[in-house]
Amino acid sequence: MSLHPAVYAVLFVLLAPVFGGLLAGIDRIVSARMQSRVGPPLLQPFYDLGKLLQKDSRQVNPIVEPLLLGHVGFMAATGAMILGGTDLIFTAFVFALAALFLVLAAGSVNSPFSFAGAERELIILLASEPFFILMLAAICKVTEQSTLGGVLGSAVMVAPKLPGMLIAFSFVATIKLRKSPFDISTSHHAHQELVSGLTSDMSGRLLGYVEMAHWYESVILAVFVILFFNWSVPLGLLVFAGAYGLEVLVDNSTSRAKWQLVLRSTWVVTLLFSGGNLLALFLIK
Amino acid sequence: MGSLIVFIVAFPVLAGGLLLGVRNGKLRNVIVVLAGLVVAGASIATAVTFGNGNAVFFDLPNGLTMGRSLLVVEIAIAAFVVAVGIQNRRILAPILVLGQLAISLYLELAGKMPELEPGRLFWFDRLSMIMVLIIGIVGTLICVHSLGYMRGFHRSSPMIKGRRTIFFALLFVFLGAMFGLVVSNYLPLMQVFWEITTICSFLLIGYTRTKETTGYAFDALNMNMLGGLGFSIAILMLTGQPGGLDLAKLTAGPATAALMPALALLCLAGLTKAAQMPFSSWLLGAMYAPSPTSALLHSSTMVKAGVFLLLRLSPAIGGSNLGMMVAFTGMLTFLFVSLVGVTEQNTKKVLAYSTIGSLGLIVGCAGLGSPELVWVGVMIIIFHALAKGLLFLVVGTIENRFYTKDMENFDALLSRLPKVSVLALIGIAGMFIAPFGVVVAKWTAIRAFLDIPGWQGAALLVIMAFGSSLTIFYWGKLLIKVLAMRPVTEHERTIEKRVSRFEWLSETSLALGVIVVTCFLGVISEQVVGPYALATFPGTSQSFLHVDPVMLATMVAALLFLPALALWAARHERYDLADFYAAGRPVTSGGVMGMALGGSRTVSLRNYYLEGVVNGRLAFRAGSIVCGTLLVALVATGIGARW
Repeated sequence: MSLHPAVYAVLFVLLAPVFGGLLAGIDRIVSARMQSRVGPPLLQPFYDLGKLLQKDSRQVNPIVEPLLLGHVGFMAATGAMILGGTDLIFTAFVFALAALFLVLAAGSVNSPFSFAGAERELIILLASEPFFILMLAAICKVTEQSTLGGVLGSAVMVAPKLPGMLIAFSFVATIKLRKSPFDISTSHHAHQELVSGLTSDMSGRLLGYVEMAHWYESVILAVFVILFFNWSVPLGLLVFAGAYGLEVLVDNSTSRAKWQLVLRSTWVVTLLFSGGNLLALFLIK
Repeated sequence: MGSLIVFIVAFPVLAGGLLLGVRNGKLRNVIVVLAGLVVAGASIATAVTFGNGNAVFFDLPNGLTMGRSLLVVEIAIAAFVVAVGIQNRRILAPILVLGQLAISLYLELAGKMPELEPGRLFWFDRLSMIMVLIIGIVGTLICVHSLGYMRGFHRSSPMIKGRRTIFFALLFVFLGAMFGLVVSNYLPLMQVFWEITTICSFLLIGYTRTKETTGYAFDALNMNMLGGLGFSIAILMLTGQPGGLDLAKLTAGPATAALMPALALLCLAGLTKAAQMPFSSWLLGAMYAPSPTSALLHSSTMVKAGVFLLLRLSPAIGGSNLGMMVAFTGMLTFLFVSLVGVTEQNTKKVLAYSTIGSLGLIVGCAGLGSPELVWVGVMIIIFHALAKGLLFLVVGTIENRFYTKDMENFDALLSRLPKVSVLALIGIAGMFIAPFGVVVAKWTAIRAFLDIPGWQGAALLVIMAFGSSLTIFYWGKLLIKVLAMRPVTEHERTIEKRVSRFEWLSETSLALGVIVVTCFLGVISEQVVGPYALATFPGTSQSFLHVDPVMLATMVAALLFLPALALWAARHERYDLADFYAAGRPVTSGGVMGMALGGSRTVSLRNYYLEGVVNGRLAFRAGSIVCGTLLVALVATGIGARW
């Protein structure tokens, strides 16, 4: 495990879509079973992606595609930077920047559906960003480290010291994964009021980019969970898998909330659980 | 050095005096451009002469003495304020200014003013150098921009009486006073420059002489005069202390408890000038002035004087109750104005809230007083001056073409004004997208907050996390409006051709400045700002900004991505690609949507302003009350205490 950090960065860029795609495949099967369906094969997301990338895309203006490439690029860069040993707190800003590119791509289309989706995605960013900054700051604080390698090598166990952060994480991850009740910016169901929201004017390979970026994003969230369980990477992965299963269950058993509720509740949770946890950390240590 | 400094202060004032008599527009253009070149050149010459050495102290060059000239200027200022007060039936400002004059007269005439040690009138160090360069370059570019802007401004608002001679004179006097302020070491001298900037901003804000702007001008005058009175009382208190009026000695290290009350009053002066809560409203009122005024007040003058003084005081107040109060005032201001910013639709006001927030970050850093936080503060000053100056000028240009400041009317800017959009994108990227710039500063600040023990550290982190996320929201909305594209008519295409040469020149220069400073961030940090921070806190060691090549590449990519994309897209406009999706209804390329029962509607899209979740007015009031309470709490708990 003593490879050069740059190797991990490259491995992330290459392999994260594989993990992300598999995760999406599992997600679809589990969801289907919950709805008493058989569901698609495990590799279906890859077949879908392959087909999307081959198709002609229907473009409304010339900047949507480059903006989406920026979205994928910065999302991959976020993960690569985390694995490559860049300061963790700094990556929170790059993570937000990557998400912003999707908002801009959807917003540059003049469609009402796409625009509403873009604005709501911006609200998601506003709701979730404070948490990620606080979480990474707290992890750096307890371990007195600033990089992924440092945190994993630290003798301090993170999760027992940051229970509030973990609770808030499970809340915010639901938003980031765009799972119901927090899927305010997009939707997989055409009958809902957003008509697929921010991706409504993205088709063919453009949709493929969005999908890939989402896979990167899922893996970054998994890395965040591993940060909490820094003494055992397998345990971290196990917890992530369990939590993801719960997310799918919640996704299938709740209806979409209004954006006001999403924003308010996330802020309150962030303030109470992660703010409270942070305060305890500063007062006790 | 002494003669250069005298030149750089006196020349803009003289140029201003000359411009007062120039009514011919063409002649004025020539004089403003030439004077601007001289001022910018002189500021660079000053920086080059200084090199990058340690602080130097000096007096006026041989043959010049101050005599009673400070008192004469103060009497003139007081007479002017009393006159305009009587003319407009305003009582507060005259009272405040007479209070200041009374103190000065008492000190001078009763002979209480201690002798100044020879050779310590001026203080020039790396911070002065940075400020001189900002004022000299950004400031003069704004003056040049005004040549084009004011023509359009008076064309679009013919009812306003043109007084451009006074306008340009004031711009130059303002620059001169700012130069004087940032090189002063002797506090009474600095105070005179301080008051001149107050008067200049009062006149510039009230330029249009409408009832509305006169009211705002007096708001600005009252609040800054209050701070100025604090400055005067501080001087009065410091005359009793040995070396008290020598700013460098006063701020050489943590101050004794006896000095704290005077320092608190100086902080009050800094907070009012930097428009921190509860003194923020004057800067918002200033938004009704012509846009170059806003650009000048926000980027290189006025508010920067406030944060400059607070950064100077930083080593003296760091670690004290006073410093903590200043820090929380700044950080809470950042949080609350960011909340207000997300609900604001007037683009200039959004920029103003963003300025107050950035200043809040600087104030927060200054109050905590550590080398890395002072580093952050100076870095934000540099980036903010360039990027915000650029943004205000760009908004001014847009405003003169579209006759509106409303963000919602800026949509499809990239299609309508492609070149202006590219400049706007560089400005926005410099402010917030490029992780270099303000974001690097925020990140360094977060790292520093982690080391602050007790509840204060946790509170500062929470404030920073929420405040900085809120800024993403309003910048994101603005970016959506800029980047949205739609087909434009032939008429709309001609609009951009009417932007004047002066506007292009200054905006392009500032945009290049943002890019150059970003690329050389490592050098600036290691050669100038880092050494400054270490010299300010002697005995500390710290390595500033580890320039990780991966980080550097990401940052430069982030800064250039959107502007480059916009440049490319503007050249490859192809709208015949497809119409947008409208739930199966027919759409034409102009954004007209067919309705279900016949008829059609034009699609219009409006940003979210978080109605029902964030109440801007309430947030502004709450912030003012909280920060005002902090001021009171400070007095109650004892200014001199250390936490």
